[in-house]
Amino acid sequence: MSRPTVLDARSIVKRFGAVTALDGVSFDLRAGEVHALCGENGAGKSTLIKLLSGVYPHGSYEGDILVDGRPAEFRSTRDAEHAGIAIIHQELALFPDMTVGENLFLGSFPRRLGRIDWDRVYSESAATLAECGIQLDPATRVGDLGIGQQQLVEIARAVARRPKVLVLDEPTAALSRHEIDTLLGLLRQLRSRGVACVFISHKLDEVFGIADRITVLRDGTAQGTLDVAATDAGEIIRRMVGRSIEDYYPRRSAARGRRLLAVCGLSVVDRPGDAPRLQDISFDVYAGEVLGIGGLMGAGRTELLMHLLGLWGRREAGTVELDGQPYTARNPRAALRRGLALVSEDRKRFGLVLAQGVAFNLSLSSLQESKRGPLIDLAGELVRTQATAQDLRIKAHTLEQPVGTLSGGNQQKVVLGKMLLTSPKVLLLDEPTRGIDVGARLEVYELVNRLTAAGQGIVLVSSELGELMGMSDRIVMLCEGRVGGVFERAEATQEKLLAAAMGRLGRAA
Amino acid sequence: MNRTGTRELSMALALLAIWAFFAWQEPVFLSSRNLSLLSVELAVTAVLALGMLVVLLPGQIDLSAGSGVGLAGAIAAVLVFWKGVPAPLALLVATLGTVVVWSAMGALIAVERIPAFIMTLGGLLVFRGLHWLVIENQTVPVVEGGGQNVYSLLTTYFLPSAWGYALAAVTVTAIVMSALGARRRRQSYGFPVDEAEITFLKLLVLAQLVFLVVLVTNGYRGMPIALVILGVVAVLVHQLVTNTPFGRYLYAIGGNEEAALVSGVPVRATIIGAYALMGGIVALTGFMQTAYSGASTTTVGSLMELDAVAACVIGGTSLRGGRGTVLGVLFGALIMASLLNGMTLMAVSPEAKYIARGVVLALAVWLDLRLGRGK
Repeated sequence: MSRPTVLDARSIVKRFGAVTALDGVSFDLRAGEVHALCGENGAGKSTLIKLLSGVYPHGSYEGDILVDGRPAEFRSTRDAEHAGIAIIHQELALFPDMTVGENLFLGSFPRRLGRIDWDRVYSESAATLAECGIQLDPATRVGDLGIGQQQLVEIARAVARRPKVLVLDEPTAALSRHEIDTLLGLLRQLRSRGVACVFISHKLDEVFGIADRITVLRDGTAQGTLDVAATDAGEIIRRMVGRSIEDYYPRRSAARGRRLLAVCGLSVVDRPGDAPRLQDISFDVYAGEVLGIGGLMGAGRTELLMHLLGLWGRREAGTVELDGQPYTARNPRAALRRGLALVSEDRKRFGLVLAQGVAFNLSLSSLQESKRGPLIDLAGELVRTQATAQDLRIKAHTLEQPVGTLSGGNQQKVVLGKMLLTSPKVLLLDEPTRGIDVGARLEVYELVNRLTAAGQGIVLVSSELGELMGMSDRIVMLCEGRVGGVFERAEATQEKLLAAAMGRLGRAA
Repeated sequence: MNRTGTRELSMALALLAIWAFFAWQEPVFLSSRNLSLLSVELAVTAVLALGMLVVLLPGQIDLSAGSGVGLAGAIAAVLVFWKGVPAPLALLVATLGTVVVWSAMGALIAVERIPAFIMTLGGLLVFRGLHWLVIENQTVPVVEGGGQNVYSLLTTYFLPSAWGYALAAVTVTAIVMSALGARRRRQSYGFPVDEAEITFLKLLVLAQLVFLVVLVTNGYRGMPIALVILGVVAVLVHQLVTNTPFGRYLYAIGGNEEAALVSGVPVRATIIGAYALMGGIVALTGFMQTAYSGASTTTVGSLMELDAVAACVIGGTSLRGGRGTVLGVLFGALIMASLLNGMTLMAVSPEAKYIARGVVLALAVWLDLRLGRGK
């Protein structure tokens, strides 16, 4: 193995304020290899590739990046592109109303007499597509393609620029089996031509199917680079999780009461005729219990909550019972009336009216409670919202301060308070501690304890295994829209949870 | 708070400048007679603008309002003058019809997701056509020659002066009571309130304004009933948007529609409700405007939707929804009505009037963007 090293990152340290995202990570990439990056959410994979592709400019980090043995100082993504590094992000950056050919050449159209030379655009696009093994007419509108084919176009666009290094961030998350095979085939072909690929994926079978080497990241540190031939999935998972659960998960179990939510054999489709996005999902939530729901990105966690709230999907099979009665949500209003409330993972988008005050937001879901005749009893409303604000220790100058000016933790408390004011039986929490500081995090956990002690049921969706294991009484791991495994608190380990999330339960052992 | 202050101050200065300019160019502008007429014109513009506020708050718009004004007035006029239907019944029928049609537009916007801009732009053309069809391109008076009915009295009835003063006294008492009540309530919950002196001054100025209006209108023929109608509509809309769940929902949808939905706000029903209300207000404005013209003609209501939008925006209503107050809209309507009245008085040509209205509209939106930035 005497392939030259094309990209070499040495002892990279990247800090965001007080948080160290990468702590002395070294990573090298050889010509003609596929090098996989593995790690949990937040381990530092995205930060690393953003550094390599110039999103974080030279000077914002410590350590050196060498391209072909020479120090590289990328000031922007353009610099990285000139150095031959092409990156394909998770979110697609195509123009749906343009054709495949237009998308491939956008920004660098060949011209003749000042006009775009359309013949060349389409003949060269066709050549590029053929070279990548993609069977597509370059005159097709991108918006008419499936997500998977769009992803392939995105890759073809990168390939057309003849990169030395190709970085793919979770490229297979949205692809079908067949499309994944096309993609992996394309990667093998690029590898044989000497292109170096960085491949990020949560799916270990794919990683083992394509990669030559694997670097594992955990909490911003490299946990070793391994040859695929000399390791196995168990080893990789062990290195990925390795962390002990910090003791800041103060879960106090409460007495288990009656069954509040029963989901049985639930299958949900996007539109009639599509393949189910959620399939045969069953779980129960009892009063006084926290049910954790985990899974990798795209496993269907958020879709499940959205469906329970009546915001997404068409139910094909299965039943849902809420407090003993059959339940089908038509919209969130109906769900709230039945006692099911959601605190969304995206509080700015789905949680708050940012320009309005704390009191306005707190009482928005429970205005009927404050009504006297046709009008809102302003005094009664003030009493209710003020009590909640004090109870949750929401820090605001006045209750009329726009919530957009509050800190993340206080914003989250406003969303929680709004839902608590509706007195829900079951509270669905989607990533309730994302983007809030440790103090606010603890307060959220204490609130969860108090609510379960008062006999409410909680569904806690989280992508942090530590939080799931620390705060749940029972954990359901979802894997590609199905239940990958169910664990009691006592028997759950990070290895087991991760294996279930990757669909490797039973096979890994 | 500072930015709002800047906006309020600049608007007050603009109004003063407009009035000073017209008073200088045409001293008749400040006569009792003209101010009385101006108050009727204000009433018509402001009532429609208040309806527009209800539609703008959830981030929608109604471009068909002006055509609707013409159509509603035309239907009522035709029923009264050509069909001999009693005026109250004619007004009722026209109102119901308008509310139904506006609810339907609201449903198409909220449920079928047709953008409000396009839906009501279509409405603008359809209603204009229907308007002309209904009156057969003729002039249809609102009452048999020389007579009067409920319809014609909408803009020609004036309260006797004693009634005007009595009404002013009642109004001022009500305002003072509610202001003091709100102040006490806020204090008891520890919310910040203005200093007592400031509160007193504000109420004093307000009371003086009310009596000034009565004094001025009594100098001509008395308090116009149209102004009383505006007062009632303004109080009702103010209560609606600030003190009912429906009103809160309007602000919530305009501020963040997705969050509103997840929070259990009935988004569709609220938007349909806003348009239904707009329908009623369009009908009322239609009757007032047609009565003010004396007859339904092809030009009644033309471009009034833009005056209404301009009044809202000048008064601090956001075109993106979620922000706006009744008081601001009244103020904006006063600026628009003053401009139109003054220009008519100065015998400005229709060409120049169009240009001036256009400039004011663009200026108001630009100002809204400037002052709304950085929030």
